[in-house]
Amino acid sequence: MAAAAQRQTGWWLLILPAFLLMTAFYVAPILQVLAISFTEPQPGLQNYERLFTSESVQRVIGTTLRICLITTALALLLGYALAYRIALAEERVRRWWILAVLVPLWISVLVRAFAWVTLLRRQGLVNQALLETGVIAEPLQLVWNEFGIVVGMVHYMVPYAVLPMLASMREIDPRLLAAARGLGASRFTVFARVFLPLSAPGLIAAGVLVFIFSLGFYITPAILGGGKTLMVAEWIGLQILDLIRWGLGTMMATVLVVAILTTLAIFSRAVDLRRLFGSGA
Amino acid sequence: MQSFQQDCVELALEKYRRGEVSRRTLLAGLAALGVGSGLASREAAAQERQLVMVNWGGIANQAFGRFYGDPFASANPGVRVVQDSTGPSAGRIRSMVESGRVTWDLCDSSATSSYLLGGMNLLTPINYDIVKRDDVIGPTFALEHGAAPYSFSNVLVYDTHKFPNGGPQSWADFWDLRRFPGTRLLRRDAAGALDAAQMALGKDPRNLYPLDIRASLAKVREIRRNCVFWTSGSESEQFIRTGEAVMGQIWHTRAKVLEQESNGRFKHVWNQGILQPGIFVMPRGNPGGELAQRLLASMLGNPEAQVGLLQFLGNGPTNPRAAALVPAEFRRFNPTDPENARVQVAQDGRWWGQNYAQANADYIDMVTG
Repeated sequence: MAAAAQRQTGWWLLILPAFLLMTAFYVAPILQVLAISFTEPQPGLQNYERLFTSESVQRVIGTTLRICLITTALALLLGYALAYRIALAEERVRRWWILAVLVPLWISVLVRAFAWVTLLRRQGLVNQALLETGVIAEPLQLVWNEFGIVVGMVHYMVPYAVLPMLASMREIDPRLLAAARGLGASRFTVFARVFLPLSAPGLIAAGVLVFIFSLGFYITPAILGGGKTLMVAEWIGLQILDLIRWGLGTMMATVLVVAILTTLAIFSRAVDLRRLFGSGA
Repeated sequence: MQSFQQDCVELALEKYRRGEVSRRTLLAGLAALGVGSGLASREAAAQERQLVMVNWGGIANQAFGRFYGDPFASANPGVRVVQDSTGPSAGRIRSMVESGRVTWDLCDSSATSSYLLGGMNLLTPINYDIVKRDDVIGPTFALEHGAAPYSFSNVLVYDTHKFPNGGPQSWADFWDLRRFPGTRLLRRDAAGALDAAQMALGKDPRNLYPLDIRASLAKVREIRRNCVFWTSGSESEQFIRTGEAVMGQIWHTRAKVLEQESNGRFKHVWNQGILQPGIFVMPRGNPGGELAQRLLASMLGNPEAQVGLLQFLGNGPTNPRAAALVPAEFRRFNPTDPENARVQVAQDGRWWGQNYAQANADYIDMVTG
């Protein structure tokens, strides 16, 4: 008993250096920055008061939440269909599918945003093709608005949605599906009553991951939004770098951190969070 | 920004100077980092006095070295001027000064930032015993906490193919969606946009300031749905080049590139251009001390180098003797050429310094709302 406890302590000691390093160089500076939100321009809560009084602060939060929820919903929808297809594919085909999902993940977010600009702008590929085939007479406004931002973000997020869902789908015993069919259920019933509930933990995990990731998006909205849509990350950058209103910028950063931790706390009750961070069940 | 490798080199040199490593070890280490050669000059440089000039990157890094740094260094043996392209935003200058570890001497900033930061006591005031007020063409180029060795202008640029019967010539035309239909391009920054809006409202350009912020914001709101907004110079160029906007307010340096590469398809007009000083500031406690004032004085007092910069990058000279030195083919693109300066409006940096923070926040709210 004592020996086991001792071994346990030993393991903890092993991660102690990493823990101290993180505290000294990561957690402490972040706390220091977040503390500015209470001390500038005067000590007090006036920066947080803006959350309730400033229309512009509320608008930035509203825009961010709206775009993130739409992105999450679309990424889950597309990702689910992909993951479903991959999970049920043969081993040989599956590898190619997974490669196709992973390849975009390795391309820089900047490159991908500019690629979308090239596709979606007035003289871009999409508009040119539609104009030449006579489908439209005037170029469509596909970019420099929230539509463009959502397209870019969903494209970025789909792989993050696929991977947790695929992991959870692959744990589903295929014999259960066969058994349900054997008991007379239709294909749809098998999916709705057996497969979907069993894959729900992966769905929730993917949703949390995609949503949290989307909250901090900076580059994609900055490039595809045409300057007209401001999400929190860019707003914080603006306050800190250009307007030197650090109190306000750090207030929003604190809100962002709290929002992320709260989301994690709520969903950690519903789903095994270790799945999010790549640990197998 | 300093790269990790540059930092390794510095660290190794420091150790060598303190005698912690032998010369042989140092050379081997530097060779491993791929910077073996040039050691002698670096060693010598350590004996010299060094000034750090900070710019926003791109070819400015090269140009400022050539036209600001080199003339000063060759006139002052033993002084080296190095370029850093971190981008000295107001926020970065503030955090550097407040941290008490100032490594920058002279930063390519703006009139607005010089008032903003100067008001927070974060800048060294310009010593006008060293820097000469007579070396600039107007009072907006020599401020309490900064002085301008170059100028630039926010000009109206348009696509002549879209307007075969004559394009827009003023900000009133820019706002006239009926006569000149199509998407507009503005900078996502109140300074420049509100000045133009005020002119479109009909106020006399010679008597433009103070701006009526509320009315100007409302004026921009009118055309907001027909606008796209740029945040970087290259982006502004791209919006016009690819036909996303039929006209725009962009920096004259970008307008020049567009006009030249398109053989005149994209034209810019100097009329009602918003002429601004390229203000350099010194963070409080800059390591070079007074030497930085002398570098700034040399930048202002050297018309030949300023004309060189105009030909290389497009930045307008600010020295009163420079305009006459500009070769004829470059005069068209010189914002401070008397012909061009006459029809522009000198932006009031002081007014903007006092009003920028609030006006810009309101502007961005309006643009993104």
